[in-house]
Formats: sequence, C-alpha cells, structure tokens
Amino acid sequence: MPHVNSFIEMKHLFQAGFEDNEELLSRFGADYSKQLKAYLIESNLQSSDIPCPKGYGQWKKLDADHWHINVGDNSSGSFFLDSTRDRVWILYSLLDAGESDTAVSKWIENINGLDRCWLSRSQLMHYGDVESWKEKGIGLKFIDGLTPEENAGNFSLKAWYGARSQIEGLDNVLREAKDKFAIYSARWQKINSGSVSISAEWYSTGKVTINKADDVDDVMLSISEMANRYEDAITKATKIRDNTMGSFELNFTQTINLDAFAQAVSMGKSSMNLWLVETESEQDFKRFRGVDLHTWDRVFMDVGPDYAYLTVPGKGCVNAAPRIATVQGEDNAGKTSIYFDGVEMFA
Amino acid sequence: MGLRCLPDNDNRIVLWRNTIKLFHKQIKVNYTGPFFAAGYKNYRIESPLSERDSGKERSPDIFSYGPNGWLVIELTCDDGESQRKQLDDDKNLDPRDLSSQYGWPVFATAPDTVSSRLLFNDDGDHCQIVVKDIFDIKKEQNIQDNLLRTELTAMRGRDLTKLPEIPFSLVPEMKHYEIRRGLVDIVIQIFDPKSQGKTPNQICEDALDQLFKNTTSKSREKLIRKINTEMEVLIRSELAGYLEFKDGKYRVTEKFKEYPKTRQVIALKLQTWARATKQRTWADFDERA
Repeated sequence: MPHVNSFIEMKHLFQAGFEDNEELLSRFGADYSKQLKAYLIESNLQSSDIPCPKGYGQWKKLDADHWHINVGDNSSGSFFLDSTRDRVWILYSLLDAGESDTAVSKWIENINGLDRCWLSRSQLMHYGDVESWKEKGIGLKFIDGLTPEENAGNFSLKAWYGARSQIEGLDNVLREAKDKFAIYSARWQKINSGSVSISAEWYSTGKVTINKADDVDDVMLSISEMANRYEDAITKATKIRDNTMGSFELNFTQTINLDAFAQAVSMGKSSMNLWLVETESEQDFKRFRGVDLHTWDRVFMDVGPDYAYLTVPGKGCVNAAPRIATVQGEDNAGKTSIYFDGVEMFA
Repeated sequence: MGLRCLPDNDNRIVLWRNTIKLFHKQIKVNYTGPFFAAGYKNYRIESPLSERDSGKERSPDIFSYGPNGWLVIELTCDDGESQRKQLDDDKNLDPRDLSSQYGWPVFATAPDTVSSRLLFNDDGDHCQIVVKDIFDIKKEQNIQDNLLRTELTAMRGRDLTKLPEIPFSLVPEMKHYEIRRGLVDIVIQIFDPKSQGKTPNQICEDALDQLFKNTTSKSREKLIRKINTEMEVLIRSELAGYLEFKDGKYRVTEKFKEYPKTRQVIALKLQTWARATKQRTWADFDERA
C-alpha cells in the first residue's frame, strides 16, 4: 500500500497512477497503477467525529487543512478524505472497484449522518454545458421493481458512443431510451488541443471513476466542481424546507402501479427502502406516512400515477429528495425530475 | 356514494394543508395557488406582530406579503363562530413589524384580511375562502390588491383534494382518530434499531413541527394527554407486545424483528388503529357525534 505523508505526495501518487509511472509508484510503495475513484458523500457530521471505513485503520490528518489519509493495518493510503465542504465530502480511493465500493457502502450504512450524493440527471449531464467536455456514453437502468419478478420488464443499457453512426436508427433509440429511463451513469471526456485529457464515468450514486487523465489538478478540479454543485443544491433545498411548508415534487416518465407501490412500501421492501403506512386512498392518488429506512427520518409521500410529493418534516435531511428520486427512478418510475414550486431542484 | 362523501376526520389538517398550498405551485397537475400566482411567496405561520397604538402582541395564523400589499389569514374549523372580531383586529396590525421583525417590505396600507374555512360562515366585511375539496370564495370585493383578487376569483371551482401534505401532522385542537393518523410516522420511527424510544413530549414536538414553538405550554400539555390516551390504546391492543411504555418513553420490545413481513403486519395494524382511509366505514359518522 502507498506510503503518503503529505498532500503534495498524494497528488504525486494520483499523477503517477495516471501516467502509469512505475518508478514513481514504487517510490510510494505502490506496486502497480490503480484507477482513481472518488465518492461524493453527503454529511451532517464533523470529519473529526467519524471513523474510517471498517478494516482500514483510522484517519490521520495530512498537512493540508481538511485532508485526511487512512493509516493502520496493511491498508494505509487506500482512502483520502477531503472534508473541505460542510455538507459534501470527497472520498478518493485507490482500491479495486469491488473492494472500494463495498467498503464505502458499509461505511455509509454504519454511520448515521452519512449518505451518498444522489446525482440527478441534470447533474450527471451538466458537463454537456461546459466547454471542452464531450458526452461519450450513457448507462440506463429500469428494474421494474413493482412488478412480480416473473413478469418484470427490466431494462438495462450501457452505450458507448463510438461507432453509433454505423447502425441506422441507433441514435433515435438511444434518445428515446434516455427520455424514458433513469440515467445511472454518464461517461464524459474532456478534450484539450484535440486530445483526451480526462475520461471519466459518473454514477447516480455519486461515484466517479477516472479512466484516463493527463493532469491531477484538472481531475480534482472537475470532481470538486461536482461536489460544489451538489452542496449548493442541498443547501438551497434545506433552506426551502426550513422556511416554507412546501413539498418536493418528483415527476416520473413511467406510470406506476399505486397498489403495488403501497404493497412494497408497507413492508419496507424493494430498493426504495421506504417503510410507509397508507393513510388515504383514491383510485389515482394515495397518501403515505412513514420513514425512509436509509436514515429512519420521517417522510410523507403523496403519490399519483406519474408523480409524487415528498415532504420531509422536522429536522429530516433533505438528501431524501434526490435519494428517493434516484432510487425510485431506477426501480420503477423511469426518468425522474425534482421540482419545488415549479423550479427544478438538484439540477 | 363514494369514499370522498364520508366525513373527513382530518378536517383541521385539511384546512391547514389546503390553505398553505395556496402559496405553492405543482407542475404535473398544472396547479398554481392564487397567492403564489399573485406574488405572495413568503409567509409565516403563527408568528408575532403587534397592534398599532396598543402594541398588543398577536399571532395571526398566517401572514404574507406580495408585490402590491400584505395579507393576514385566519383559519377556523368552528362553523358556528364568526371570525369578524379577530379579522377586524387584524386590520389594525402594525406593518412596520414586517420589516423590523422579519426583514420584509413595509406597506402603508392595512393588510388584506381573509378567513379560511371548510364551510361558509359570515365573517363580516372580510374575504372568505372555503378550502374543503373544492375552492370557493365569497366577499372577494374586500380584497384591495387587484392582482390577488383576480387570482383568487380565478381559483373558484378548483379541486383541492390532491395537494401535497404539510410538515406538521397535529394541531392542538385535534381529537381521537385525527391524532392517531397524525402519529403514524412517529410511531414507525420508534422502530429504528438505534432509537432509544420517544417521550410523550418528543412525540408532541415532532408532530407539531413548526407549530411547536408557538404553541402555549397549556395547549401542549393538553395535547400530550390526548397523545398518551391514543398511544395507550395502541400498546394495549394493536401493537401489544411490540411497543411498550417504560421509563417515561414509548419504545420497542424485543419481539420486534426487522423482517419485511413484520413491517407489513405493523403497517396494517397502524392503519387499523388510525382508521386510515381503507378501513373507514359509515361507522365513522359516530366519532364526530
């Protein structure tokens, strides 16, 4: 495992990984180059209060404010935590994807007050509005989680945009699928002077993998920018929740079966992870009250065939809005957008 | 006769919900509340203002401001009593407090005054809105803000039954099944494996949400007594064995195991206890008697 003692050494290690620079990697005790990953973490805690992912030792401060490295056992230098922002942290990892994903999932599950940043479609696609970035691929997901398994119409698609012009009509299919289903990943390339300077894949769970990069500063800036964007959105949503009695509106492209939804949430079943009691019912509208099992915060949901209103009472965390929108979108509701008083949120 | 013809036992929540949602907008169902449409986007609930001259402190149910003026709304479920006196007094509230207390603009005029009800009653020379199921308005000529008057009038006949919930689930005057329905989510939260249980006071604070800080201690105590009465029924019958009251807290017993089927059983029992819609019958008429 890498031996890193300072912020600048961490950056050199990341850079050596991008360049596959064996000499530099070995200087840090790393035996081979590993793909850099980062996880955006929504936090309601102080970084000094929390332990490392289990089995990865403890946090040690680096020489730069708000930066920590894990030390201990044989795993030192697997994780680097940037807690610069109050509400959104960035956890960098040099572990293999499977190991890293598992460790981060358990870490979040075990600590009350941590959650993922659930990236909306607009957030995943926002590089499209930024100069030099080019969309290179997309991942779509529809689990059809409200339909019994034997009849479920699951849909999953991962498309890289390389040679799509060679198949007539493929562009239209992709466009239609993208309009109908939830996006769970988006691959972007940054082009500088005609060549690719960053190739990254962002996931709706707030993770990014850097597949190729030239410059560590460029990479960290692009990740920081997404973290800033999410923190701004969560701050705005919190202010709205604290100052008004409005609700978040989730708009779906798929029509959902309200009875199947009621059945799933009464058990706290399905990936939605909501445990709700139905309190009012009409043919095309039901009201529910209960908890979001991710955090055990109270939530009220009023659900129609292709929309839901989400109210987060008390001090409940408004991260429930993007989480429920993302998870329900991928599970049963298709493309989902969040609004408040007609204005798109988490965009 | 459909379900919606049954008496609505949550009428206080319906009154609050349907009034507050007049300040908001929902896209999918093409709904824009008239206050929102007229630019009244900031509002306060039961917050203090003072009367001119006397300086007497009063807390109207809702007040708000828009581009052309300000507005006070009083809500009541009491179909027998006129709100005339209260609304007359609201006309005398000092607009300077809007700025000094809340940082809002100051208006030279008295506020527009509106009563919000579920059934019409004569509240004197003040605008009255009826917000049960279908929006209705009377005496709109008393509204000074022309834009607001236009938007309120245009709202007449609009269905209000599918508007979103509001964050508080109890108001102090509630009774029996209203209280139970207001406690459902709070009871579920007690099943959090990390929960230490909840005291009756915590339950009251959770349920009142933003209303808690403006509720008098006497009203809170009364409400806590009512909460305890309904919770006792729950732990004695529907959730007997799952929930208990020990050391001043409602908490989960060891019988509870986190399985989907157990959760479903608890959800159904809570539905039965609270007489949520599915379980409502004509017998519900009795509880209002």
